[in-house]
Amino acid sequence: MIEFTEAARERMLAFFAEEEDSAGLAVRVSVTSPSPLAPAYEMSLIEAHEVEEGDERVSVDGIDLVIDPESARILPGTRIDWVDAIEGSGFKFENPNIQPLGAEPLDGPLAERVQRVIDEHINPGVAMHGGAIRLVDIRDNVVYVQMGGGCQGCGMASVTLTQGIKQVFTRMLPEIVDIQDVTDHAAGADPYFSPQK
Amino acid sequence: MTAGRVLLLVTSSSYKAEDFLSAAERLGIAVTVVSDHEGTLSDVAPGANLPVDFSDADRATSSIVDFHHEYPVRAIVAAEDEGTTLAAAASSALGLSHNPTAAVHTARRKDLFREALRDAGLPSPDFATFGVDEDPDAVAARAAAQPGFPCVVKPVSLAASRGVIRADDETQLAAAFRRVVRIAAEAEGTAEAEGTATAPGSEGAATVPGSEDATRGTSGDAARILVEEYLPGGEVALEGLLVDGELRALAVLDKPDPLEGPYFEETLFVTPSRLPAETQEAIRDTGARVARAIGLTHGPVHAEMRVNEKGVWPLEMAPRSIGGLCSRLFRFQTGLTLEELILLHATGAPIDEIASPADAPAATAPGAMASGAMMIPIPRAGSFGAVEGTDAALAVPAIEDVVISLRPGQEVVPLPEGNRYLGFIFARSADGPEAVERALREAHACLEITIE
Repeated sequence: MIEFTEAARERMLAFFAEEEDSAGLAVRVSVTSPSPLAPAYEMSLIEAHEVEEGDERVSVDGIDLVIDPESARILPGTRIDWVDAIEGSGFKFENPNIQPLGAEPLDGPLAERVQRVIDEHINPGVAMHGGAIRLVDIRDNVVYVQMGGGCQGCGMASVTLTQGIKQVFTRMLPEIVDIQDVTDHAAGADPYFSPQK
Repeated sequence: MTAGRVLLLVTSSSYKAEDFLSAAERLGIAVTVVSDHEGTLSDVAPGANLPVDFSDADRATSSIVDFHHEYPVRAIVAAEDEGTTLAAAASSALGLSHNPTAAVHTARRKDLFREALRDAGLPSPDFATFGVDEDPDAVAARAAAQPGFPCVVKPVSLAASRGVIRADDETQLAAAFRRVVRIAAEAEGTAEAEGTATAPGSEGAATVPGSEDATRGTSGDAARILVEEYLPGGEVALEGLLVDGELRALAVLDKPDPLEGPYFEETLFVTPSRLPAETQEAIRDTGARVARAIGLTHGPVHAEMRVNEKGVWPLEMAPRSIGGLCSRLFRFQTGLTLEELILLHATGAPIDEIASPADAPAATAPGAMASGAMMIPIPRAGSFGAVEGTDAALAVPAIEDVVISLRPGQEVVPLPEGNRYLGFIFARSADGPEAVERALREAHACLEITIE
């Protein structure tokens, strides 16, 4: 289910070798954030008594891994590499289950319904302030959007999101559980409202 | 909790909408945003937004009362100064807990605030007020007698050190007076324009008409200039929450940069305070006495005070939380934000357990963390270009976040005329307030700010 590159395997074995007594040690691998915006992982050496009920145990290339149930659901197919770079060294996870937002073209009936709500009920409104909402992705019934034009960097963008876009989806597509704004607001060149003291 | 909505009063120039709305969402509290502009999606999101004119409190109160008939309201919270008068008036009309309107008016007018403190026997700098149309040289001559020099000139109704200038003699005072009159007039014009006109580029964004300036008292009231005795010493802030008329002091914040003039730009806030325990107790006690003196009883307060060898001198107490994004430096019990605490209190939740002083060992999460914020100074006027070095600033140990709140191309003006923050730096450390202050300064030094 998990694959180590040779560099990662060597690094793991080096960590084991640094321990005075590595007998019984295992590596806990966990997904600390499954968000496609900023997925985060953690790896740590643990002793046998730290294995918890429900944890999965697997052996990969001679390394014992301990994985909590939620992480085990997300990690299948993950490739773990070790990278050395100027900005820092560490394990790099390539997880096919957590794709960057917008990596795949959106299609299907839910995407069509979401796009229709944006086109017909949201964008005409925000266009009054020179804004536009773009559908970026849909994951587990969470809709990811980007705000453009006058909405990008606008001091009232959070109001538009919370008091407008989310309200519209709650009424019109209740199967959508959340709307996430993934806009780079700092790059907004022409925000409609700017904050003041 | 009882059913009903919380009305959140925010202007379209607010820094605070996002943090309050996020807090409400986390707490599961239904919010209606009451603002000075029509929400772009109001037609398709009924009840979520209510446009009002903050400067016409009577008419805005009527709108809120009408709204309440369709969407019951259980609390009204003003995110910043502009909404405090309306929040008090509308709460009174609906029978909701809130500050008395007169107390809010007193808190927002520096001259009335000084009078209330003097009447209550609280320490207060000597002062005099002058009309904006008075001759600056004559004002300087009269102010030389009372309050004397050095003194500080400020409009009675602006906040965030805007239009505040120190003068050490009659020549400086006359010049400062002319300048402060211009700043006050400009602020008045801006407020009226924002309260009555459509925002640029949008015919569909009309706000409720009306120009009576209730946000600053009346236009006549606001058109006065305060000249007061300059108080030497360090400056601190007190963040608190009034519960049934009693002040729960949430934090005493040091302001480590000296504020000696000629302008008074706030930069650093660090908590817990490094002042002696008895001084901090005096600050908290003074805060409670100030609230009683001016009649504030309910909700958040943010006070500024001078501390010197003669004691603690309250400068102002606003019936709102700390300005800008600075509230992000706070974490209360179980990790609550200040906005969550304010909303919980507004909706009647008991807050005794969670509103412990932020500098008490058990109050922060995790552990007894020190924290602080820097409001990044605007170095000069011009067109804002960019800020380089934020990655380096973020890499400084203890730095949690760097937020640049200006957009490229925005015109910026430093104090005393300016009315924007360039941005904010936040730090948190288990190594104490010294480490926090050091980190904030180090992070700021990493930033290269381009203003053309």
